[in-house]
Amino acid sequence: MTAPRALLDDQKPLASHWLRLSVGLGLGNGVLLILQAWLLAQIINSVVFGEADLNRVAPWLWPLLLLFAVRAGIAWASEQSAFRAAAQVKISLRDRLYRHIQAAGPAWMAGQRSGAIAEDLTRGIESVEAYYARYLPAMSLTALIPLAILIVVLPLDWLTALIMLVTAPLIPVFMILIGSSVERLNQQLWKDLARMGAHFLDVIQGMTTLKLFNASRREAEVIARISDDYRASTMRVLRVAFLTSAVLELFSTLGIAIIAVFIGFRLYQLELPIPDLIAPPEISFVTGFFILLLAPEFYAPLRNLGTHYHGRMEAIAAAERLVAVMDTELPPAPRQVATLSADSLRRIRFDAVSYSYEPGRPALDHTSFEIGAGERIALVGPSGAGKTTVASLLLGFIRPDSGRILIDDQDELQALDLDDWRRRLAWLPQHPRLFQGSIADNIRLGLPDATLDAVRDAATRAQAAEFIDRLPRGYDTPVGERGAGLSGGQIQRVALARAFLRDARLVILDEATASLDPASEALVQRAVDQLAEGRSMLVIAHRLSTVRTADRILVIDGGRIVESGSHDELIEQDGPYRQMVRLLEPGDRRA
Amino acid sequence: MAPIGRWCDCWSLETDVPELIRLWRLFRPYRGWMLGGFAVALITLLANVALMAVSGWFITAMAVAGAAGVAMNYFAPAALIRASAIGRTAGRYFERLITHEATLRQLAGLRVWFYRHLEPLAPARLMEYHSADLLTRIRADIDALDNLYVRVMVPVLVAITAGVGFFLFTALFNLGLALLLLGTLLIAGVVLPWVGHRLGKQPGRRIVEIQAELRQASIDGTQGLSELLIYGAADSHARHLDALSRALVAEQERMSQLTGIAQAATGLTANLTLWGMLWLGIPLVQDGSLAPPELAMLALFSLATFEAVAPLPMAFQQLESTLTAARRLFAIVDTEPAVPEPTGPAPRPTGNGLVIEGLRFAYPSKDSGIHSGPTQERPTLDGIDLELPPGRRVAIVGATGSGKTTLFNLLLRFWALESGSIRLGGIPLEQFPGEDLRSRIALVSQHTHLFDTSIRENLLIAAPDASQGLLEQACATAQIHDFIAELPEGYDTWVGETGVRLSGGQARRIAIARALLRDAPILLLDEPTEGLDAVTERALMDAVQQLMKGRSVLLTTHRPVALAQMDEILVLDQGRVVERGTHAELLKALIYPRLLGLDLDV
Repeated sequence: MTAPRALLDDQKPLASHWLRLSVGLGLGNGVLLILQAWLLAQIINSVVFGEADLNRVAPWLWPLLLLFAVRAGIAWASEQSAFRAAAQVKISLRDRLYRHIQAAGPAWMAGQRSGAIAEDLTRGIESVEAYYARYLPAMSLTALIPLAILIVVLPLDWLTALIMLVTAPLIPVFMILIGSSVERLNQQLWKDLARMGAHFLDVIQGMTTLKLFNASRREAEVIARISDDYRASTMRVLRVAFLTSAVLELFSTLGIAIIAVFIGFRLYQLELPIPDLIAPPEISFVTGFFILLLAPEFYAPLRNLGTHYHGRMEAIAAAERLVAVMDTELPPAPRQVATLSADSLRRIRFDAVSYSYEPGRPALDHTSFEIGAGERIALVGPSGAGKTTVASLLLGFIRPDSGRILIDDQDELQALDLDDWRRRLAWLPQHPRLFQGSIADNIRLGLPDATLDAVRDAATRAQAAEFIDRLPRGYDTPVGERGAGLSGGQIQRVALARAFLRDARLVILDEATASLDPASEALVQRAVDQLAEGRSMLVIAHRLSTVRTADRILVIDGGRIVESGSHDELIEQDGPYRQMVRLLEPGDRRA
Repeated sequence: MAPIGRWCDCWSLETDVPELIRLWRLFRPYRGWMLGGFAVALITLLANVALMAVSGWFITAMAVAGAAGVAMNYFAPAALIRASAIGRTAGRYFERLITHEATLRQLAGLRVWFYRHLEPLAPARLMEYHSADLLTRIRADIDALDNLYVRVMVPVLVAITAGVGFFLFTALFNLGLALLLLGTLLIAGVVLPWVGHRLGKQPGRRIVEIQAELRQASIDGTQGLSELLIYGAADSHARHLDALSRALVAEQERMSQLTGIAQAATGLTANLTLWGMLWLGIPLVQDGSLAPPELAMLALFSLATFEAVAPLPMAFQQLESTLTAARRLFAIVDTEPAVPEPTGPAPRPTGNGLVIEGLRFAYPSKDSGIHSGPTQERPTLDGIDLELPPGRRVAIVGATGSGKTTLFNLLLRFWALESGSIRLGGIPLEQFPGEDLRSRIALVSQHTHLFDTSIRENLLIAAPDASQGLLEQACATAQIHDFIAELPEGYDTWVGETGVRLSGGQARRIAIARALLRDAPILLLDEPTEGLDAVTERALMDAVQQLMKGRSVLLTTHRPVALAQMDEILVLDQGRVVERGTHAELLKALIYPRLLGLDLDV
């Protein structure tokens, strides 16, 4: 598995330009600070010991104003460059992450919590900002600015330089010591956070169910508990993290205090509480004051690093989640992408195809069958027999563990460009998903440039136009997840209109009419019949009405095709199909 | 009213005040924590200012005394320097600990508060919200409120208190210098934050909005991945997400511009104060009204005081994001539930017979028009009469949109009826508290939400105190026990989004087991076998038969085999009962056979 740090470092090139600028500006600011302290010390010194008036100190006072203006400019510019360093990374990472999720496909997504993935795509990406915008520049400046100050201080007063040298390195050491334990805690925390998000989404989507069982108010206690657990684990992280900062703070403030006291004592000619062997250097007021002004600036970058270290840990914890997603193995891209000829897809052959979701439990077991040009095939069988697996294979969501799916007897599905392949398919599942947007947008899903006339035409053919026209806002009616306000049959017909907009060669209906009442089903069926004209069709079906009209019925059980033939043939054979038919509705006259 | 309320009154935009007041009220239970955080933050700030000021004074005084050969007490200031150093360190640690503890407690409390307000709105009032939108509210929007406490309330209180203190302290030496300090502190602490708030308003609001859209697009783009891939829309959705991502970054950039300006301006103000102190102070030293060490002290002191106001411009620039988040929360909290809860004591009905008379209902028309049914004038249900005494079985048949589901929603009091009446045990439904009513009703529908937890937990939703034996018994009746028992982890197997994928039939059986555990006298079956294959359906019907025993049943279905066993069947068409009778009687009617698809072969 890729290390989270590596993921963050890989993005550095995107930020490097702005990062360098950030560091440059920070360093410039540091040099100006030293200059400013020197000017200030000169002014105070002249006033206190030289009894200077305003005119005498003017040569120092006016440049000071200029310095202030320049430093304000630098402060603004470094904020800009810090932001930009992270901006490009965020945009690129989010895009890559989402495209990776797409490439991993619905089969992978089925094992994920979409609430947690949404969290990664939104907040997860945002939290890498601190790493590039704050931590990385701070890291470089921590090395540069104290060094610059030390170079200035050393020739003036080696004692202060010594105090600085002794206290400063302790800071990063402590930080790393404590930091590594926080890092572990923090990664746990991020997982808790993702889990909390997933739980809330689950509760929101299932609230009606909760309410039915009067469990929705009990759930308030669960939410209280989860939030409180989250608080407790956050505080565990923070207590240690703040201790890091406290240690930093202690060293830097004590450092300043010792420097101030030592300078003061020497200015008053007092003995210092240090061994006699070391003769402390003499110091003048102007030097002493200058050094006092520099002391907080010496420690400031180190303290800053402490603050941003927290941001780094958050970024790494988030990166760990991102890496977990990005490390998902993608189905290998075909070595040579073959594209079908324009008129292709006449015949599909499953050749001893096996597939299992978990080892040892094959969903398909050496299944072989064929769908001929323009043929209507119905796939029937009990739940879990492998019907949906056949659809998933054809849709390219999963690949056979063994065996081949051959298109027109020459191309293997695995070697095809999937986009090109899918362009030839239309698919209608049992619960189609509508997306945030208008009904027209939803119909246009596969053909964004389709005109409204084309959309209307597709809707008419899908038997959806009538109800859409009756909506006050017609095709502009906003719909969302699960159709918000549309009935199951209406959603189904909107989804069917999508299929009409595309010139598909193969139509796959996955229990599409299963949840419709017979009247709606008849509507949808009429539309489907029209859609199937001149195309091959695979129907995964329950209802006899859809099965009976099929050219061939494949009966699947336990991942194998156990029977095949037309309705009449199979009824005569008195096999599993006939049993199934008999089970169904003794009152159904068609059976 | 709280200080913050009053303080904001004098400068902030009028429209923000009500929200701030409401937010303040929400924070009330945590006043103790907030006060503690404030006290420690103040001590920390003062310790830091003292450290710098005393150091400056100390060095200068020592140098002056050393040069003049005068004796001075250096122990007290040296000790003060050390004490400030330690006070600052300890103070900072406890300040962070207390403010974060307080904030997290508040957030936990707010989440429950929000959920309690959200829950009565489901499902009627929440239909128009994307689940991702609600998720954003309960997660990100509530999190955003922590800004208000840690970044706004406490720093503002600290700045006001410390600012007054700094002014008085400087006034001890010279009023002119004190006024200069006060003036510049006001610029950095009031003017800059105000400008930042004004300018940050628009990007702040946009950031919250775009983040919500991004979350929505993320959920659409993951849960709807199959459709996107097959319709070749995956790439365009990825581009849509990317565009949102870029829009977010663009707004953040505008915000960052403001941050940069605010930071530069605050630093500049602090530096100019120092400069002003020297400009005004040097003549004072010369005419003897200010001792030289005092000038050094005030110079460093004035710089250090800006630590009190430095965080404010940023805080107020982001205030709009916080307030937008708050408004989004209040929008939900202020929504009236579709069904008001009765205030009186729970009624004691005699028996569980249901009587529906002259029921009429139309969904309220919304701007979007989506929930208003086909047309505004036509009600979803129009003049329904129905009697369901204990033990009776009634079926409702009708095409999609004929009003079957609406009837169930009314019976469950998810919506309030418009005219007509529904009585349970002789008492109008409106008099029952929702939970009391729903404890008498069990529903099995074609959509079963399985929660992302174990099978056991999913069953316990129906009866939290049920024993394992009871669970197994219910599952055995629902014909799912054998399947569960075969799973390696049995009843502890995780189902739902991340768990074992259950087939439609298996999920339906869990729903039946839930209904059995519920043990309610009235049973609503909403197309319980739809979407299943013939074999599964057949087996499931046996389980449903078990479930129906001894209960009054209201069933919607199109399966002749189930309909044949009903005492009465109502045929609904566009909200009206057009035919009624037994299965045998209705087979000769006009609409019924067509609805069942029995005439297709003719």
